[in-house]
Amino acid sequence: MTTFRLVALAVPLLGAWLTAGAAAPYRPASDSEVLERLPAGRDRAADRAVRAMRALLARDPADLDVALRLAQWQLQKARATSDPRQLGQAQAVLAPWWNETAPPVPVLLLRATIRQSSHAFDAARGDLEQATAREPGNAQAWLTLATIQQVTGDLAGAARSCEHTQPAASATIATICRAAVDGVAGQAARAYAALDALTSRERLANEPVAVQTWAMTLQAELAERLDRGSDAEHWYRTSLAKDPGDAYTLAAYADFLLDANRPGDVAALVASDTPVDNLLLRRAQADRLLGSADAAVGARALSDRFAALRARGDRVHLREEARFRLALEQTPDIALDLALQNWAVQKEPLDARIALECALAAGKPHAADAVVRWIDATRLEGRQIAALAQRVRAP
Amino acid sequence: MTRARRLFLAAACALMGAGPAFAHKPSDSYLSLRLQHDRLDGRWDIALRDLDVVLDLDRNEDGRIDWGEVRTRLAEIDRYALGHLRVAAAAPCALGVADHRVDRHSDGAYVVLALGGSCAGGESLSIDYSLLFDVDAQHRGLLKLDIVDGADTHVVTAVFPADRRQQVFPLQGVSAGTQLLGYLRDGVIHIAAGYDHLLFLLALLLPAVLVRRQGAWVPVPNVAPAAGSVVKTVTAFTLAHSATLALATLGVVSLPARLTESAIAASVLLTAIDNLVAVLPSKRWIVAFAFGLVHGFGFASVLADLDLPRSSLALSLVGFNLGVETGQLILVALFIPLAYAARRKSMYQPVVLQGGSIAIAVLAAGWLIDRSLNLGLMPF
Repeated sequence: MTTFRLVALAVPLLGAWLTAGAAAPYRPASDSEVLERLPAGRDRAADRAVRAMRALLARDPADLDVALRLAQWQLQKARATSDPRQLGQAQAVLAPWWNETAPPVPVLLLRATIRQSSHAFDAARGDLEQATAREPGNAQAWLTLATIQQVTGDLAGAARSCEHTQPAASATIATICRAAVDGVAGQAARAYAALDALTSRERLANEPVAVQTWAMTLQAELAERLDRGSDAEHWYRTSLAKDPGDAYTLAAYADFLLDANRPGDVAALVASDTPVDNLLLRRAQADRLLGSADAAVGARALSDRFAALRARGDRVHLREEARFRLALEQTPDIALDLALQNWAVQKEPLDARIALECALAAGKPHAADAVVRWIDATRLEGRQIAALAQRVRAP
Repeated sequence: MTRARRLFLAAACALMGAGPAFAHKPSDSYLSLRLQHDRLDGRWDIALRDLDVVLDLDRNEDGRIDWGEVRTRLAEIDRYALGHLRVAAAAPCALGVADHRVDRHSDGAYVVLALGGSCAGGESLSIDYSLLFDVDAQHRGLLKLDIVDGADTHVVTAVFPADRRQQVFPLQGVSAGTQLLGYLRDGVIHIAAGYDHLLFLLALLLPAVLVRRQGAWVPVPNVAPAAGSVVKTVTAFTLAHSATLALATLGVVSLPARLTESAIAASVLLTAIDNLVAVLPSKRWIVAFAFGLVHGFGFASVLADLDLPRSSLALSLVGFNLGVETGQLILVALFIPLAYAARRKSMYQPVVLQGGSIAIAVLAAGWLIDRSLNLGLMPF
């Protein structure tokens, strides 16, 4: 009766996964047919080390040292391969401590990183505040806390946390941390100069590759915000030369190219079958601008992936889905709804921008009033952001 | 690299990875089940990448999983999967894997297990899902459950995260007992809100504490003839309307609503008039039975409006009818003792019997005109 009817209505939404992306099941004709490629191939030495750690944990799941090493390795792999499965596996490794209110500090750090990846920002911040209270000299904890504060819009808190990294960590880390915050707080020029001093004096070369590319990509983003296009391109390319597979830098560079109306370069940068959702989104946008038939294929794949994420109840993809709905499906009202839900959680420049774009496209500029107030308050720089905010103010 | 340096790597990850730069999604399996009578069938799609974590499918370590590496391990895969799924109705259901296929989802290749088994009755299906949680805390099982019940299929969907591994699904949306109570309540409400049925009953019962002697009403001497008359009348009415209610609901007989509604109005009118001037057979139970047949069709149209699933028709018929009888017994229980006590009072005949009957007759005449001409003027 009524309950059945409600269920029946909900079914097309929730049941979408059965059809989403699933072709007809088949029985492969030959044993040699390759069904699946494991991400980034296989590193046999690392595999053996992982297997050894798993074996140790199987005997004693509460062996903190082994668990930390394995979880740490999995988090690095999650980033290197853009594979979210590694996060869940790291969480499983940390299971003996996961629900404790005061686990060892290293567990707090890993738990915070996993939680922030699934956008549980409050829980992640709680872990890090506890970690920094227990170990005020823990630079790692302060740095991760700064990240979360910045992503969620607590710029003053982020700046303070960056200062706290100083005594324990190298000045380089503190400089990059601070530049990232200044760069979204009306101080892009100062931040750019600070990074320039770092990179030109080659102090960076002593840092791990991930820190180097972090600085370079940040410098590219700052150059973009300062309307220095050729410098931005230079730093994106330098960063990608260091780490060609870095999905964050690839996405940021692709956005730069899209803004510069160079969709052909995006198509050259990002393969049409990229497994990374963020990159596939940019590639599909480029294909659309190029009038390529690949655009429909990419849009279809993205639609399936967002449906699969929704079916499992994930909400980490709201910003990307808003952009997908706006740019590819051209349903600005749905896009605006998603962008505003996202804005309630995340407050990075990209989050502001998609909210403004959706509000304008949907003909509801006032829906983004809070975003404009935010931009005014933080003095966020950037030509596109400024132009969009202006249109929202005076439609 | 020092420990501190290694840690900063992770921090940089955190910073750069603030936006979800992820390929696809975390791990899910897709479990689709169909329960029909005692038969449970379905398919279970499990990602090869997930199975590789627990079963090391990539035996030749070439970073690829080919069909040979899956085909030769199917027995292990089945054992692993079935070891992490418990389905139970009245008793645990015996599940087996009948066939294996491969399918692609948005995030890669999945092995598809064709499930089959038996699941003996019960009011609910309990599913205990524990696949992969020990190696991937963010894994989720996505369930689609089709419950086939006669011609109806109820579809239920659910998500099993690590912290909600066991979930219970009612097999009929609500239990049969709850459903029965629901129909019973509908029946009571209908008789209470169906003034035509109430007034018909009242018209029949007004003279139940009297007997007709040479065309005139006299009070019954004691309780026995009154009680006998009430029991006979109510029983006859019940039997008659139950019969036509069942026939109409089961689709054996079907009459246009305008006809039955008009006939019901006419039955109320005639009964009320008969209280004033004898026009109907003197045995009241015969009147109750004949007109009861008409009222049954009226009840049936109400039941039809409730839009019942065919599967629970018998249940709803019994429940609704019991509700109607309950409502009617309440009226009897309220009215008869009062009438019995007041039967010798000088006002009973002129005010209650005649006045009441006239009022009922007037109302019924209004209904009759309104319904037969389809005017829609009467407020109830």
